[in-house]
Amino acid sequence: MLITEKIDDNTARLSLDGRFDFHSHRDFRSAYDAVLARPEIHQIAIDFGRVDYLDSSALGMLLLLREKAEAGNKKVKLTNLTGSVKQVLEIANFGKLFTIE
Amino acid sequence: MGTVTKPLTILVVDDTPADVTQLEAVARRLGHELIVASDGIEAIRKYRSTSPDLVFMDITLPGMDGIEAARQMRALPCERWVPIVFFAAPDSMAGILRGLEAGGDDYLVKPADLQVIRAKINAYARALALQDESRRYARELAAWRDDAEEQSQLGQYIIGRLLDSAGLRDPMVQWLNTPAQSFSGDLVCASRGPGDILYVMLADAAGHGLSAALTALPLTQVFHGMVAKGFPIHTIAEELNGKLKAFLPIDRFVAASLVALDTRNQTIEIWNGGNPDVLFINDQGEVAMRWPSRHPPLGILPPALFSGATEVVNYQNSGEMVLFSDGIIEAENPDGQRLNMSGLEALLAQAPKDGRLRAIETGVARQLAGRLEHDDLSAIVVKVPIERRHTLRTNQAAATASDPHTSEWRMDLSWGPEELRTMDVVPALLGFMGQIKGLQSHQGQLFLILAELFNNALDHGVLGLDSRTKNQEGGFERYLEEREGHLNDLRDGRIDMAFHLHPHDGRTVLDIQIRDSGRGFDWAAFLNASDEDQGLYLAHGRGIRLVRNLCDELAYGDNGNVVFARYAL
Repeated sequence: MLITEKIDDNTARLSLDGRFDFHSHRDFRSAYDAVLARPEIHQIAIDFGRVDYLDSSALGMLLLLREKAEAGNKKVKLTNLTGSVKQVLEIANFGKLFTIE
Repeated sequence: MGTVTKPLTILVVDDTPADVTQLEAVARRLGHELIVASDGIEAIRKYRSTSPDLVFMDITLPGMDGIEAARQMRALPCERWVPIVFFAAPDSMAGILRGLEAGGDDYLVKPADLQVIRAKINAYARALALQDESRRYARELAAWRDDAEEQSQLGQYIIGRLLDSAGLRDPMVQWLNTPAQSFSGDLVCASRGPGDILYVMLADAAGHGLSAALTALPLTQVFHGMVAKGFPIHTIAEELNGKLKAFLPIDRFVAASLVALDTRNQTIEIWNGGNPDVLFINDQGEVAMRWPSRHPPLGILPPALFSGATEVVNYQNSGEMVLFSDGIIEAENPDGQRLNMSGLEALLAQAPKDGRLRAIETGVARQLAGRLEHDDLSAIVVKVPIERRHTLRTNQAAATASDPHTSEWRMDLSWGPEELRTMDVVPALLGFMGQIKGLQSHQGQLFLILAELFNNALDHGVLGLDSRTKNQEGGFERYLEEREGHLNDLRDGRIDMAFHLHPHDGRTVLDIQIRDSGRGFDWAAFLNASDEDQGLYLAHGRGIRLVRNLCDELAYGDNGNVVFARYAL
């Protein structure tokens, strides 16, 4: 999975591209660790527009991100959800845990 | 080069003393040990007795020549590589080739230069050290694998025992659970609660293999323990979530669906957090009802934010409940096409009534087309019958007149609004009575009596609900909604319960009296109504009729807000 980062004022947008599964663990963590470390960032938007697959370990990684972001008083937003990715997040009721756009 | 070389045992086979002396000088200076043989026969004997690390072999020898000796050495059973280096005359290309073909590794042309001999010995010492190292790794790996295999077998044995339960052999339940690896992160559980209510759970831990199996493991004991005590599904879900939240790291969780099927009252109660839709298939094979996931999986939310809110329906027709993990609908064919919910529903529609689990199994196998599933696969099919019975499936408590208890005890309990709102009163009582020896075998009957009488006191007495609501179209759901609303708003109201176990007429009886703070009801009209009065019978009477069957006496008092039941042990 490819991750590109874009900073817009106090929002960091991490755009994911490809399969988001247990192989993405290291890349995803280093991407969000980098933006969590920046004090001027208040919100992290994860862009799923180009994600074609999401498994349960990806959900676990989102939960880890949520935990760390909350500890640093930052918000996490999930955006551009479509197709099977949207379905997986809906079944897991992640709308009750994250802001979804 | 990081490889540590060690002193070698070198077998020199040569009948020319000068050559031997030359080699010996170089080898000893490098710290190696030399063994000498002067013909082929002796060479093989010493090769066998000393297990050398390296062999220098002259081709021309008296008796058996070097090539034959090399061939015979190579034929001996050996687990490691012992390099054989031939000494060859400078003009003997044919001899060199024959030697290499016979199993030799290398050659030196006679008379060999001292520097070359030293370089060769050093090169082989390094190669042999590498060989030692990789042999050690291979041994470690094999030992590690054996160990892992043993642990895996033990793990499978223990987990298999922990997961097995009599409930999985219930005639109303069929299930499958196929792991992607040796351990399944999916969990299927079934168990009968007191009062014959069938509880099933299908859980799917994030990931698969041993770590997923361990993730789901804490659920089984909690599930079986709480079902046996008659706790409602929402309390079980809360407890399961709390356990997992306490045990699991942040990124681990378990999707689960819990179902309680009460065939006596024809109700299905469901909590689904993170699993695919739970389906109700009618006898025509159609999906008559579905319950999508309404909650995040277990183990994510802290107890204060967790919701055990269930959905309850009053079913009117027979059919089957189908629960399954996402591995079933995500099974991919070789073109990457998933089975999907629509594919599964088509399988279920075409399957014969008693063959739906089998249809899922074969349908998924066809979809995978012989490839290994990459997720755990599990499914549960539960028969949902319509049965008009008013007795317990379990054995009626046998009259024990011949063996009266001599003990006598009393217990008075009084519950206020706070307790009525938040406590599972009947399981709590049952938990207590389960400790009393004489009552243990009557748990099922006592659960039904207490649940019926207590719920009547709460619903119709304290909460003032009219059970006739249930008879209207959509009334059952509205009734439950009203009940929840009234219960949440409950600020006053009280239920008093008195229990008295004592001998009576040569038998031991348990007297139960329940008084509620409600307005009461026209109990005389109710008790005198005929069984054929279906309206009233369906509205209220089904449970009470069962209590009357189970008890020696059932009587109402005051305005109908006091009920007395005498149960003979």
